Amino acid sequence: MRILIVEDEPDLLASLAQALREEGYAVDTADNGDDGLFNAEGTDYDAIVLDVMLPGLDGWEILKRLRKTKKTPVLMLTARDQTRDRVKGLDTGADDYVVKPFDLEEVFARLRAIIRRSTNKTTNIVEIGEVKVDTAARNVLLKDKLVDLTAREYSLVEFLALHRGEVVSRTQLYEHLFDENESSMSNLLDVHVSNVRKKLGAEFIVTRRGHGYCIE
Amino acid sequence: MISKSIKWRLQLWYGLILVAVLVGFGVTSYQLERNRQFRRVDEEMHRRVGALAQQLHGPPHGRQAGRQPDPNRLPGRMPEDRPPPEFGDDNPPPGGGRGAPKFELTPQLAVLFGTNVPGNFYFRIHLVEGDHREIARSDNYPDRPAGGPDLDNFFDPQKQGDGHAGKFNNPPPLNFEKDRVVEDVLPSGEVIEVGCSIAPELRELDLTALKLAGIGAVILLLGFAGGWVFVGRALQPVTEISATAAKISAGDLSQRINTSEAESELGQLAAVLNSTFARLETAFAQQKQFASDAAHELRTPVTVILTQTQMTLSRERDAASYKQTVEACQRAAQRMRKLIETLLELARFDAGQEVLKRLNFDLAKTVADCVDMVQPLADERHIQIESDLKPLEMNGDSERLAQVVTNLLTNAIQYNQPNGQVRIKLAGQGGLAVLEVADTGKGIASEDLPYVFERFYRADKSRTGAGNAGLGLSICKAIVEAHGGTMEVSSVEKSGTTFIVRLPLGV
Repeated sequence: MRILIVEDEPDLLASLAQALREEGYAVDTADNGDDGLFNAEGTDYDAIVLDVMLPGLDGWEILKRLRKTKKTPVLMLTARDQTRDRVKGLDTGADDYVVKPFDLEEVFARLRAIIRRSTNKTTNIVEIGEVKVDTAARNVLLKDKLVDLTAREYSLVEFLALHRGEVVSRTQLYEHLFDENESSMSNLLDVHVSNVRKKLGAEFIVTRRGHGYCIE
Repeated sequence: MISKSIKWRLQLWYGLILVAVLVGFGVTSYQLERNRQFRRVDEEMHRRVGALAQQLHGPPHGRQAGRQPDPNRLPGRMPEDRPPPEFGDDNPPPGGGRGAPKFELTPQLAVLFGTNVPGNFYFRIHLVEGDHREIARSDNYPDRPAGGPDLDNFFDPQKQGDGHAGKFNNPPPLNFEKDRVVEDVLPSGEVIEVGCSIAPELRELDLTALKLAGIGAVILLLGFAGGWVFVGRALQPVTEISATAAKISAGDLSQRINTSEAESELGQLAAVLNSTFARLETAFAQQKQFASDAAHELRTPVTVILTQTQMTLSRERDAASYKQTVEACQRAAQRMRKLIETLLELARFDAGQEVLKRLNFDLAKTVADCVDMVQPLADERHIQIESDLKPLEMNGDSERLAQVVTNLLTNAIQYNQPNGQVRIKLAGQGGLAVLEVADTGKGIASEDLPYVFERFYRADKSRTGAGNAGLGLSICKAIVEAHGGTMEVSSVEKSGTTFIVRLPLGV
């Protein structure tokens, strides 16, 4: 899962980015509105965390322009908790909002929720045969036993599970699993796939040669 | 409750006045009616007295009985040659008439007296002197109960001084129970007493009194009802005002009193109250906005502290990460401290509690010091500061004014273009110190210009830089205004902004 954070307060941006990376997300950041819009339009993020008050384009404007081309789920960070601000945000196309000051746990939960909704899932648990992927607890159970996965491995399983039945290209996987700062060494993805197969069974991830990967 | 209600008090006073007027009117009417009735009766009685006197002594010599007395005719000088009067049928006079005049009740006279005559007139004639011997009385002369007024002695000439009986002519009639009696003393020494029953008159008067009381009661009731309606209507705006004021005190400051009756006194009061309410509403709205903005400004640093600590505590870290987190928290705390200090400072200026340390000093020197202080910042951004300062002695708080100058200079440097210029000019102008700070920055958009002195207003919405909460110019304005000065701004987009401060020299 790859997320863009647009926030101009450097300490807040840094802590949010680190916290989300530690949760297993690939995170890109922007500290002003113009860069934020540029990134948001150029990459298929799984979700965008967008502050309202920004130098340059403000959050409303970014949202308005982004909605012309993309349906990326957007979580607004607002410092004003008045109803009209919330209504304005939701009407402009935000999927949810959190009011500053917030708890990180809440940001995580809301992000999971908007991502889940964007993939048309109603629960946090995806069952694939004997494998259960719990997107809330961020873990995977095989025959009701917890499987020890790295964050990146979990992200791979989660992304494929949420797009079950679809063939996901390597490019897509790179876009969603790695942020802009990571070099996209092609064998890194293969290593992760191979590790997941060792832990969950060789047939869990199917390779479609020339197209990508798939969970059936 | 009732005693405190204006409506009830007005009604009470109004009612009391109405009652007084009605009672006065009623009593007067009753008296007039009574006098009219009695005058009629009295005229009748005097007519009969005259007739009796004429019968007794013949036609009067130029006078009517019971009218103008003849001063030449003294009592006692009664004509002896008169025949004694004939008395009523079965009512012989007590005692014999020693020299008493004769009296004969002629038929012409008889129709004036008797029980079948309307009014039931009766008479009695007796001598005024001596044993008050009776000369004549009518059949229907009532027997006065013992202990009643002594009519025989009532007109005792001895008691009246010099014996001029004439002065008793036409005396005031008297009422006895349901009778009215008039007595006249003739100059010849006889007393003619004529009376009649005034029972019908009294009955009529009672009826009149009843009628007056009834009419009075009706008028009073109508008056009360009308008064109630009018007082209620007159006090209606007061009720509205108090209802509106109650709503306002309950927290709805948008309420206004209906001032449709603007020309009345209450309408004027309502207008005054409305303008007060409007000012209150504005003040409350500003206060609310200020509090909301202050809270808003505090949200971001609090969020930084929360996310930094929560993220850091979520797992074991190395020392360097903890240090980073603590530093970030410190920055957030510093920012909050600066914000709180600024807010308190503004609050003190608002409350007029900020005391200026007024001293005489050279403003040009203070400004020059400020320029020196910001010079490193200007050098860093390759900005040139041009000063044109005329020495200017003024009275004021030099530290506070230095704060203003530094703030304006810092803004002029920060919002300037690289290699730009800042011009600062100080000159005296008719008792005022005029300080101009101009930059060559990108200027302020005309739609933002009216708000630059408003608290928390930031034209570029940028939050970069701790303490840049949009309060700097508000503080400057507060300081300048505390010195009795003014501050204004003009700006041309893409070419620069100029702030002008005018301060009274005060020396």
